[in-house]
Amino acid sequence: MGVPRRPVEAPTPEQAAFLERAIQEYGKATYNFAYRLTQNESDARDLTQDAFIRVYRAWRSFQPGTSFLSWIYRIVTNLYRDELRRRKGRFHEEIPEDNAPQEFGGSRPLAVTPIEDYVEGQLSEPLSRALGLLSPEQRQVVILADIEEYSYQEISEIMGCSIGTVRSRLHRARALLRRLIQRTQERT
Amino acid sequence: MMQHLTSDTLIDYIHEELDATADAAALAHLQTCAECSAAYEAEARLNEALKTLPSAELPPMVKARIWEAVRNEQASPYARLIAFFRPAVAVPVAAALAVALYFVSPFAHRAPAGPTVDANYYLEQHAADEIGNPLGERSVSSTVLETSDAPGTAPSLGTGTAAAAALNAVE
Repeated sequence: MGVPRRPVEAPTPEQAAFLERAIQEYGKATYNFAYRLTQNESDARDLTQDAFIRVYRAWRSFQPGTSFLSWIYRIVTNLYRDELRRRKGRFHEEIPEDNAPQEFGGSRPLAVTPIEDYVEGQLSEPLSRALGLLSPEQRQVVILADIEEYSYQEISEIMGCSIGTVRSRLHRARALLRRLIQRTQERT
Repeated sequence: MMQHLTSDTLIDYIHEELDATADAAALAHLQTCAECSAAYEAEARLNEALKTLPSAELPPMVKARIWEAVRNEQASPYARLIAFFRPAVAVPVAAALAVALYFVSPFAHRAPAGPTVDANYYLEQHAADEIGNPLGERSVSSTVLETSDAPGTAPSLGTGTAAAAALNAVE
């Protein structure tokens, strides 16, 4: 993974201070976001590094008063998308988003799932694994909506898609998560 | 009794993405429907589980690598050269060079090549033709008279001079 090299001007003290502060305040969140997206440490480190280099180069384009986290998440999203295209699916196998069987259709009342039987500590491991089985887009929308608590509107801006797409991806992703967790429980 | 809430509606409800009317209707239904209330609790629990997924600290090596990458980009002479010739600089510089070349180059102002006529040759030929032509505007006598004009006098038209010479001859 790598950002195409592009020369930069000599840094100003403000530019260096901007990068230092960005890493200090948002490095952890960005790394965790990248880690949950890529599902492995090596790719998460590369993605985080490349994202902050982009931040450094484009620091003047950041508008004060707007959310820095949304900005860098958008950068991470774009880098990740580019990387997926470059690797052409070698990142991991994707589950077809539209063809994945849905146990809980939108028109049916939601059944009570085995999730209820889990306590928090027991759920994290199968849940992490289940997250890894979602498509990158589904995983990203779950991370942004449920972990980062962004609104659909904000997610659509970060991911560069419509609110309707965000909504449908989230619905499918959560239905699939429930199904994967249930399957895990049945095996144990 | 209202229809059961769909899972999609519950998800939007949990994320506070329903409009005011739908949100109020969902709330009212959840207060009266045990089945949907249980489904809501399951969705909410999934949300809580997602929020409690473990997080990690930023590895120190990532920060070090970011700064190293930034320094490497600045240190590269090639990068500095390319940075200098980025479009914002290169375009004005190229325009200024083009203007300077236009004014400095000896080729820039050369008249377009074409046939040239020697002015003296042309005048001599024209005078010879006029002398040889009795009907021309300059006859032999007028030419002689004109050439005999005192210096400083205004040149006169050939036809007028010829008429004056004729009058002098009659007198």
